[in-house]
Amino acid sequence: MKARVLAYVILGVYTIISVYPFAWMVSGAFKDSAEVLRGGNLIPENPTFDTFARTWGELDFLRYFGNSLIVTGGTTIGVLVIYSLASYAFAVLKFPGRKAIYTGFIALLFVPGITVLLPVVILQGELGVLGTHFGVILPFVNGTAPLSILLLTNGFRSVPAELRESARCDGASELRTFLSIYLPVCRPALVTIALLTAVPTWNEYVLTRVSLSDPATYTLPLGLQSLTATTSPQYNVIMAASLIIVIPVIVLFVLLQRYFINGLVGAVKG
Amino acid sequence: MEVSHKRRRKLREALTGYAFVLPALVLFAVLGVYTVGYGLALSFARWNGFSADWLWVGLGNYRDLLYRDKTLSPIVLDAAANTAVVMIAVPLLAVVAGLPVALALNRITTLRTTLRTVFFLPYVTTGIAVFYAWTYVLQPEGSLNAILKALGLGTLAQPQGFLGNPATALPTLIAVLAWSSIPVAILLYLTGLQSIDPSVLDAARVDGATGLRTVTAVIWPLLRPITAAVILLNLRDALQGFQMFLVMTNGGPGGHTNVLGLQAYNLAFFSELRPTLGLASALGWLLFVVALILVAVNVRVLKSRT
Repeated sequence: MKARVLAYVILGVYTIISVYPFAWMVSGAFKDSAEVLRGGNLIPENPTFDTFARTWGELDFLRYFGNSLIVTGGTTIGVLVIYSLASYAFAVLKFPGRKAIYTGFIALLFVPGITVLLPVVILQGELGVLGTHFGVILPFVNGTAPLSILLLTNGFRSVPAELRESARCDGASELRTFLSIYLPVCRPALVTIALLTAVPTWNEYVLTRVSLSDPATYTLPLGLQSLTATTSPQYNVIMAASLIIVIPVIVLFVLLQRYFINGLVGAVKG
Repeated sequence: MEVSHKRRRKLREALTGYAFVLPALVLFAVLGVYTVGYGLALSFARWNGFSADWLWVGLGNYRDLLYRDKTLSPIVLDAAANTAVVMIAVPLLAVVAGLPVALALNRITTLRTTLRTVFFLPYVTTGIAVFYAWTYVLQPEGSLNAILKALGLGTLAQPQGFLGNPATALPTLIAVLAWSSIPVAILLYLTGLQSIDPSVLDAARVDGATGLRTVTAVIWPLLRPITAAVILLNLRDALQGFQMFLVMTNGGPGGHTNVLGLQAYNLAFFSELRPTLGLASALGWLLFVVALILVAVNVRVLKSRT
């Protein structure tokens, strides 16, 4: 009984710690400029939707949102197409050098992002894609290669080999077998990969900051950062912009959390 | 006839295999192999990013970073010390906070899924938006100071803000970093707890073990592989991650929160026309070496487990 009470106390305290900055993010976003300067209480005195509407409309956040969708969507689609094909080959097909190539991809996991960041930017310049969305999508896709290949190869391996054999006997091509048998069977793993790619890409701020210089190409994190570059940052605007970034992530997570959690547990075990 | 048919099928399968891997391989060759090679070469040269030629300096950049350059090397060593503190504190906090919360979650039934979702939000949302929310809470007029005063703990309040005071800035950043990495620890411990055979715990109870004793003598040893995974995961993040430091303090005040990743980033992109690109690359490779050592330890620990 005592242990039960202790458990609830721990959980209660940790709930407060978990939601604390989110509560103030929402609170700040609905305060007017005068109140946010004073600090004030968690519940705004005169809650206003104006800051939110202004941030979305006047400050170009609609455009940043679109840019973020392009970069995140492009990266996610690229990852799903390129690495599901590769993982199928690693898991199912036999060809010389298979093991070596696979190991090469996984080894990439151990190269810190910062180590290759500068060469990536220089390469973007040489390829003429510096400052474009396509230019940041390419390294983002490549950056998720180790994790995607690891999880998807495991997923494809767990599909019974008889399924492929019978499809092949019926005259289905390799591509057809992949598309109509393996992909549907492994849909949970694909959703996991999509989520584990999309969320960090949505939040990414290090490569985009040095790569995208034209404000018209800014993603949401860059748009948010540009708000703070003014002399006196207005926290109600900054919190409204932060909410715009965070809400899609929370919605995705709440809807699809089982894929998230399976993926994380799988990634650590693998 | 039969043999050649088989051989042709094998060849066909191999060609299909290469075709399937090709897109990934092209991307890997350009963005993986090329950038790694380029970065490694650059770490042995001096270059400002604009001049036509590189000046080859051998190991000069590495030596400058570690001891030779009298203005740069103290900064790098300070950053290394800060990084080391982060690498010790964050994994420790993840274990110390993650296990009790997971134990508590495992004990209740009604709200378990809901609370797991709530506890996971700091991890999935981690990024610039949340870092600004923390900055807002931690500023001089922020809510943390206000709460401390309201609780009669006004002496703990920070008039310069928690990130403005050199003494509290690094501990504060460590706390925020832990806040966003504890969720994974909770999740892994929870899955570990759920895979423990209930009969083991029953046996402990029959032997008269109390709650705390069960945890220290039975559960903790059984969860040791998970503790190892939590620590190594957080070591890697603490070594490589610097986004939060970049957004919340950019190394300030007065370099008290500078870490190695951030130092490399600033050398690479924010040093105007000074020839620091080689130095940035060299620092990146020093980080890589540390990461490799961590991997070696990782493999060791995993091997000793089985």
